[in-house]
Amino acid sequence: MWNSLLLLSAVLTATGDFFSQAALERAYNDLTPAIGIVRYSLEITDPASGEVSRRDNNALGLVVAPDGLVMALGHMVIENTQPFNIVFTLGHGSEERRFDATLLKKPDDVNVVFLRLKSDAPLDLPYVRFSKANDLALAAPVALFGRLGDTLDFVHAIQEARIAAILEKPRTTYCLDQNVRFGYVGGPVIDTAGRVVGVVGFDLSRAEGGDVYSRSGHPLLYQAELFQKYIDNPPSLTEEQSAEDYAWLGVFTQPLTDDFAEYWGLPKEGGLIVSTVVAPSPAVDAGLLPGDVIIDFDGTPIRSKLDSDVLSFTKLVREAGPGREVTIRILRDGQPREIRARLGVRPRTARDAGEYEDPVFGLTVREITTDIRIALNLSEDVQGVIVRRVRSGSPAQLANMRPGVIIMSFGDYPVSTVDEFREAVDKVVARKPAEVSIFARVGPATGFFRLEPRWQNNQ
Amino acid sequence: MRTLNTEKRQVVRNVRKAAACAALALLAVAAAGCVTAGGGSERAVIRAKNRVAPALVHIRPVKEVYARGKREEVVAIGSGFIISPDGYVCTNEHVIGQSRAVACILSDRNEVEAEVVGVDPYTDIGVLKLKTERPLPYVTLGDSEKIESGQTVLALGSPHGLARSVSLGIISVTDRHLDAAEARTSPFNNWIQTDAAINPGNSGGPLVNLRGEVIGVNARMLRGAENVGFAIPINVAKEVIDAIIRDGRVRRSWVGISLQEMMAKTDDPTQRGVVISDIDPLSPASEAALRPGDVLVAVNGTPVDARFPEDLPPIRKRITDLPIGEKAVFTVRRGDETLDLEVLTEDAGEFRGTEREFPDWGFTAGELTLDQVRRAQLPARVGVIVSGVQVGGIAASARLDQGDIILEMDNEAIENLAHFTRLYQAAVEARKGLVLLRVKRGALTRFVLIRQESTATPLLPEDTDGHVE
Repeated sequence: MWNSLLLLSAVLTATGDFFSQAALERAYNDLTPAIGIVRYSLEITDPASGEVSRRDNNALGLVVAPDGLVMALGHMVIENTQPFNIVFTLGHGSEERRFDATLLKKPDDVNVVFLRLKSDAPLDLPYVRFSKANDLALAAPVALFGRLGDTLDFVHAIQEARIAAILEKPRTTYCLDQNVRFGYVGGPVIDTAGRVVGVVGFDLSRAEGGDVYSRSGHPLLYQAELFQKYIDNPPSLTEEQSAEDYAWLGVFTQPLTDDFAEYWGLPKEGGLIVSTVVAPSPAVDAGLLPGDVIIDFDGTPIRSKLDSDVLSFTKLVREAGPGREVTIRILRDGQPREIRARLGVRPRTARDAGEYEDPVFGLTVREITTDIRIALNLSEDVQGVIVRRVRSGSPAQLANMRPGVIIMSFGDYPVSTVDEFREAVDKVVARKPAEVSIFARVGPATGFFRLEPRWQNNQ
Repeated sequence: MRTLNTEKRQVVRNVRKAAACAALALLAVAAAGCVTAGGGSERAVIRAKNRVAPALVHIRPVKEVYARGKREEVVAIGSGFIISPDGYVCTNEHVIGQSRAVACILSDRNEVEAEVVGVDPYTDIGVLKLKTERPLPYVTLGDSEKIESGQTVLALGSPHGLARSVSLGIISVTDRHLDAAEARTSPFNNWIQTDAAINPGNSGGPLVNLRGEVIGVNARMLRGAENVGFAIPINVAKEVIDAIIRDGRVRRSWVGISLQEMMAKTDDPTQRGVVISDIDPLSPASEAALRPGDVLVAVNGTPVDARFPEDLPPIRKRITDLPIGEKAVFTVRRGDETLDLEVLTEDAGEFRGTEREFPDWGFTAGELTLDQVRRAQLPARVGVIVSGVQVGGIAASARLDQGDIILEMDNEAIENLAHFTRLYQAAVEARKGLVLLRVKRGALTRFVLIRQESTATPLLPEDTDGHVE
């Protein structure tokens, strides 16, 4: 047993395919000055009760640009949690440097977040430069750099791992071969050539608010090409940024498996069956119908037979550019057809939607975005704003309001957008009535809530 | 009231636990020893118990349940009481609903078969008829209008399957309103709340005053609480029992409105009426142009007023008691106007849709209820709803899912469960290799392809030569 291990080791030495102690130490000295700790407080809203709790947390943060851009894993920002009081520290003991930091908008295609460090003077910090190499081979050794926990003084540490698996779809994803301690998550990863090829990642499941690429539960290597664009062009500070860069067609599809092809007498070459056409959408305008089979999207053949292929198609559409006119080749009732469609802008998702917290009643509301409309199966005639949080002890909580309630009118003012809600609140606040009637939708039914504001306390 | 549970599920579950429970209970009794209450009240309690106990029935129905994509039969346990010498028994709908056979054990421990005369899920009342010729002891029904909180009451029944049990307490509240909006289980009555111990298995048993009259039917408990039990007032039960014995069911009108107490809109006590909070689309109320926010002040000229939630059930009952298929005048206040609107009532229909198992494909489906039609945003009552899918079945491998609404089979629109069943049987008999379903799941529709031959292939070819040991 030991002999064979030694032998293996000898072979690797011969090919240079391993880490020497000296190489690791060199990398450690290069990288650790840029690996810091993000300390922050979290406000967590229980989606069921609307109760808000707070706790402190920390995460590994990596300086990725000398002027004070820090990257951390995206777990800091998930549904129902909001980080605040963010402080970033670099170095140890008397050497420690401390910065207040602002969270930037979370990218929605990779599970990382960026922080902008605040400083009066221009910063010139040690930072990590990534290699755009995307050619890691299966079983390639890699080294991870992280920090141990609070009780071990956040001391810097090294761990070796290998690329255990490579997933091809919907994007190239590298899996690591062993469990990774929390302190390494978000830390830099080098290959045997000494290149910093990425960071240790963990994807969120969709239930946790993950994105379309969610593959949770296994430590991953996020290759640099996934996030380098955000280092080059950091996201904006505001949450209000729209998804204008993304194109949208407005169909839900399922793969044309061989069984479906057999049933419809189509060639078993794959494709995407249009299962739902969202209305209104560019797809409706173009005349796509449920049951159409997409076999070519603007010159790219669609040969989907697996569920994961659907995501590739979504990505293809998203990146095609809004406003572009595309040619979609379909099979309808077995006959080939060509359809021209002008792609739209992907509607705002709940994550991008603005929130508004009123000053008196304890309600935080958000617009009903298309994704929410689909998730809750709301027809277009349901207009209103959706309650996200109910402040504990507030008049809204006393009136039994809960997250998920859709407010359709507030104090007899019809409400269909967050701005209208804000205006309605302003008008009511100006009048200071003893009670405010809310007409709302709870699940499939409608009903009334009566709020009794405490004017003397609040105003 | 989300923590409030009917005992329904528990009853079924308890069947398995019953034996263990019984053993535990014996131990507990031994440990507790003997406590004696004093004097006159004890005699009064014993007297009251003696007037009811002979008519007490321990009920063991074999219920049909649809679970995990299969039709199954399970034995449940509940309580009941004989209300006439010829053997009518009052119990809960959740005890005897969907049962194929009902065994009753009488107070003399003899077992008698019973037939289900009828059930009413809206009030949770069910009526059995014992199949016996001999005259039977029966209870005296009291008047649940003449009860008071603080009054001593007894609960009799089979808690955790332990037959002939008596527990003692008081009426805690005479008219507890249990929110009907979510569970939709008791829209037409308030409840008697008692601290007399009520446990799973007590369902359907009598709540008795010290005169030995039945004033309520024990039906619910607040799980996780100590001695917070609920009984259906006997006056509510009487009316339902009469209707069931007469017609086999309770016929009710439906207009498609939901009501809220005036306090939901205003604290002003001078404002009379009841708030219309919701109008079902495709309903008589919607036809009549009633709107949410209208304040209903009279029905057929009789004023209605509900300042508090407890005032709602009688008004709902008044509306549901309107003659079916006839016009009624709903007087509503809308802003400064008062309007008389004519509403043509409809039959409220069945409380829940019937279900059926489709064994060859390994799933169960049911008729859609109006509520499900509305939740699914269907334009009309079409299709069938998948209630369960068997692991490893054809439907499961085609990724049919619980909650899916099947809209089409092989491009033919599904009208209802009977129609779907016919198409299914034809497809199974024809051994069609592939059957296409179009299903709705939430806001989305998708195609589901059933491949029948995968399980039709026998493990051993049947007509091979040679022999099989």
